[in-house]
Amino acid sequence: MVEYILLYILFAPFAGALALIFVSNRQPMLVRGIAVASTFVCLVAAVYLFYAYDPVKGGFQFVQKFQWSKELGISLHLGVDGIGTPLVLASAVLLFTGVFVSWHITDRTKEFYIWLLILAAATIGVFMSLDLFFLYFFYEMSVIPMYLLLGMWGSHTKKYLEMTDPEGVKLRDSVGFIFNFGANSKEYAAMKLVLFLSAFAVMALMGILLIYKYSGLNTFDILVLREQANLMNIPALGTTLDKIIWILVFFGFASIAPIWPLHSWSPVGHAAAPAATSMLHAGVLMKLGHFSIIRVAFEILPDTTRELMPIAAVLCVFSIVYGGLVAFYAKDTKYVIGYSSSSHMGYVFLGMAALNYISLSGAVIYMFAHAMATGMLFAMAGWVYDQTHTRDLPSLGGLSNKMPFIAGCFVVGCMASIGMPGTVNFIAEVMIIVGSWNKYPLQVIVAVLGIVLTMAYLFNMMRAVFYGPMSQKYSHTRDAVATVDRLPLLVMIAVSVGFGIFPMQLYDVVRSGVDPLVAKITYVTPVARTDDETGGIGRDPDLGADRPSRLAIHPRSLASYASREHE
Amino acid sequence: MTFNLTISVADLLLLLPEIFLTCWLCVVLIVDFSCPRLPHTRLAFLSVIGLAATLACLVWFDAAHVSGSLFGNMFVLDRMAIFFKMFVVGSTALVILASMQYVDRFTLFRGEYYFLVVMSALGMMFMASANDMLSLFVSIEFSTLGFYILVGYLREDLTSNEAGLKFFVLGVFAAGLLAYGISLVYGETGKLVFSEMTPTHTTGTMIGFLLIFAALGFKIGAVPFHSWIPDTYHGAPTPVTAFLSIAPKGAAFAILIRLFFVALASFKPIWVLLLVAVSILSMTYGNIVAIAQRNIKRLLAYSGIAQIGNVLIGLAAGTKMGSDAILFYLLTYLFANIGAFAVVIAVAQAIGSEEIDDYSGLNRRSPFLAFAMLLFLLSLAGVPPLAGFIGKLYIFIAAVKEGLYTLITVGLINIVISMYYYLVVVKKMYINEPTDPSPVSISGPMKAVVYIGLAGTLVIGIYPQPVIEWVVDATLMFSNMVGPSAVISPSLPPFGG
Repeated sequence: MVEYILLYILFAPFAGALALIFVSNRQPMLVRGIAVASTFVCLVAAVYLFYAYDPVKGGFQFVQKFQWSKELGISLHLGVDGIGTPLVLASAVLLFTGVFVSWHITDRTKEFYIWLLILAAATIGVFMSLDLFFLYFFYEMSVIPMYLLLGMWGSHTKKYLEMTDPEGVKLRDSVGFIFNFGANSKEYAAMKLVLFLSAFAVMALMGILLIYKYSGLNTFDILVLREQANLMNIPALGTTLDKIIWILVFFGFASIAPIWPLHSWSPVGHAAAPAATSMLHAGVLMKLGHFSIIRVAFEILPDTTRELMPIAAVLCVFSIVYGGLVAFYAKDTKYVIGYSSSSHMGYVFLGMAALNYISLSGAVIYMFAHAMATGMLFAMAGWVYDQTHTRDLPSLGGLSNKMPFIAGCFVVGCMASIGMPGTVNFIAEVMIIVGSWNKYPLQVIVAVLGIVLTMAYLFNMMRAVFYGPMSQKYSHTRDAVATVDRLPLLVMIAVSVGFGIFPMQLYDVVRSGVDPLVAKITYVTPVARTDDETGGIGRDPDLGADRPSRLAIHPRSLASYASREHE
Repeated sequence: MTFNLTISVADLLLLLPEIFLTCWLCVVLIVDFSCPRLPHTRLAFLSVIGLAATLACLVWFDAAHVSGSLFGNMFVLDRMAIFFKMFVVGSTALVILASMQYVDRFTLFRGEYYFLVVMSALGMMFMASANDMLSLFVSIEFSTLGFYILVGYLREDLTSNEAGLKFFVLGVFAAGLLAYGISLVYGETGKLVFSEMTPTHTTGTMIGFLLIFAALGFKIGAVPFHSWIPDTYHGAPTPVTAFLSIAPKGAAFAILIRLFFVALASFKPIWVLLLVAVSILSMTYGNIVAIAQRNIKRLLAYSGIAQIGNVLIGLAAGTKMGSDAILFYLLTYLFANIGAFAVVIAVAQAIGSEEIDDYSGLNRRSPFLAFAMLLFLLSLAGVPPLAGFIGKLYIFIAAVKEGLYTLITVGLINIVISMYYYLVVVKKMYINEPTDPSPVSISGPMKAVVYIGLAGTLVIGIYPQPVIEWVVDATLMFSNMVGPSAVISPSLPPFGG
């Protein structure tokens, strides 16, 4: 029974969505009950998976393989490694809490939960796919529910174009409006999100199709492809084919991450989305990008990754600085959190770009940590919006009098987002910074400054929303007192702080996934090296010589990787 | 040349579905004439029963691997022919079910409507088996004849009359092109049967085949032969539009596959270029113009042009896998399109409008119809886990194996463009509030059509393997088709290391 655990996690939300179709909207409690039940099953299974995953053994565990189409070379191949496991857990936690966060939705409750469950199940599906076809299948499947969730239950920012800051400068003239000048309706946000993500998804699909063709193996199976399709030095369009594929895959998936300058759909979408959708969107949907890059580009094209990953190291600086600055100047609670998310995703790219054990582990842990922190912040921003019906920072203030619990949780959320010791974000940030220092010192300095910037805008927002004088029109607002309202926040805080204090299981699991990957990318086998040199594609001959010292390969991990390979 | 026209009973067995349907057609007509008081819905059920029996016969043929040819190879019955016959018969039955309510609008000749629909279907069944130039011409004209009348069936409606006339004039023009093309090809090669032709690269054959392709391009509505499509689809009675948008496309692709893969196999480098150009034009033109449409039927008309462009990618691949992909894609298109048109008919019945603006808030008025329409449109757009996605991917895989990168790139970009206008309809249905919140009801047979469409769209999307096996078996005779890339593809480096 236990070996089918991935199927439970994946299909529990689908089953819930299917069951909800047959329930009437006139029974909202039954609808919520089904949603809670299915997500609870998903959560329990995900927690079990996380602790049952054996980091000593490593590799892909709980693998399930069902032949899906022999002619097309597709199988429903599911399995998690140390990178997928924490992300599955994060998705399950955010889905479970998201059901409670959206407890008070009364308009078409049933449809809301159906689409929410499908969205979450599709993202979970990506995290456990070992088949390129299904990875894309679930990836694209997660986009359409976003459209309906944003469009049907989202909120407008109609007045935003006319809003001014205290100095009287129109917000549309502020930095954030360079790409968002039309961001005045949820329909715009929803359409932009879908078109943007689909456009880049088909780019990734082109890369996947090219991998399929040039591997010549007639399979989409990642495990087969990564063993055999690692040499694609076929000249094409003035470079080699593997580079083109890598670029297609990287930018195709990085758009959802979102890397600068492909981020403009993201804050608009965050702002328009209902709270639970923002949580899932920022918490796990954005991680689909990093995860898919790791799964496709890192696993199948390790040599190309080593050559081209500096692109990410350059772009992540813009992500961090640009996102942070816009978040600092934004006057809308959800825009602040949205831009802070896209800024924080830059850290993940930095960790991925540095390509060593510490930094890549840090990046994966950061994905997990950020899911919790940003989930909390969006849940609370959603609560504040539901109570006050505004997201405009200057008009808010002093709400801590009315909602002390929310204010208290918000402080914790901000601390987690900044990376205070005691939260899991701290561990992740330290690992990224320490790990990347040798290779990208400049970026690390920027990243550290970015943390200061994060502090500035989050504390600024905290002050603007919860402290200072309170407007009389908010005297009717109330705190989260019911269990269903407090539970999601407490769960996320518990996960964030719990793993912050006891990170060992998380660390071991992530390391078991990262080690073989980094060893594969940075450890140059003699055969491949001679191929490279005789191939002579204008490569620096010295690069091979000083590579080991610059990349600081962990000897123990390498040895264990090598021995594992022999088993 | 001489024809051997002696036919044994065993030969006639091959024609059993057609003979049966012809007899049934007479029965329908006789019942209509002899019982003028009979409600037309009875005739509809009678026609559906006949079509269902034909379908059962075809299923039996398929299971028993019945195959053979008649009249000196003019008429072939292989598994691909059976596939397309099932396609035509199935879609006809669904169209009749979907049109039962609509037929009330016709003031006269309600019974003949079913007769004409089934007669066209009969013609298309012959198209699926046509294996030489003469049977190609006769069967195409036979099936189109019924359509000429059907398109203009709303006698009081000017747009319907216009549609009928436009379709007729351009259709006859295409028939002329076809006849001229056939005469040129016959003059050059001296053969009519596809498999016996050994065309050489002479100007006459080239022009002849171009003319034949133009005539078939008119049938499938590929750019630049598409100009009749929007007005005809718009003006025709909606069930006829649904019929016209599905069944003739399938039958015409049966002919196109045979023509290109059998008769023109030696011309492959040339027709690949031709098909690439036509496919790119169809996809791009159809999708871009669809953005501007305000009428759902016109939108589906332009989206149909784009879908045909997608199918042509499979033809341009020119391999067995390409033909598999065409069959598969057409099947997914059948379910999504018939479903979408069924929803259009149901909504038009209830609110009397086919404008996209009037779909506002359909989700509140009829959650079932809105949800069904959502899935059909997304399947047409190619979103997983719906059938259309697998269809598109199948086509792309077939094309990528032949190295048609430009075509795939254009196809992928077009997915995104098409997503926009499909989502505009979704936005109206789900996000906008209704002006008139009264619920929209739906009749029983219509519901059945929508359910069949939903079942097909979801089942093929989630578990396509049985259908894939079916289409792979259906095109086994093309397994010797090799792609152009077999010659020019760069050699693969050795794996390992």
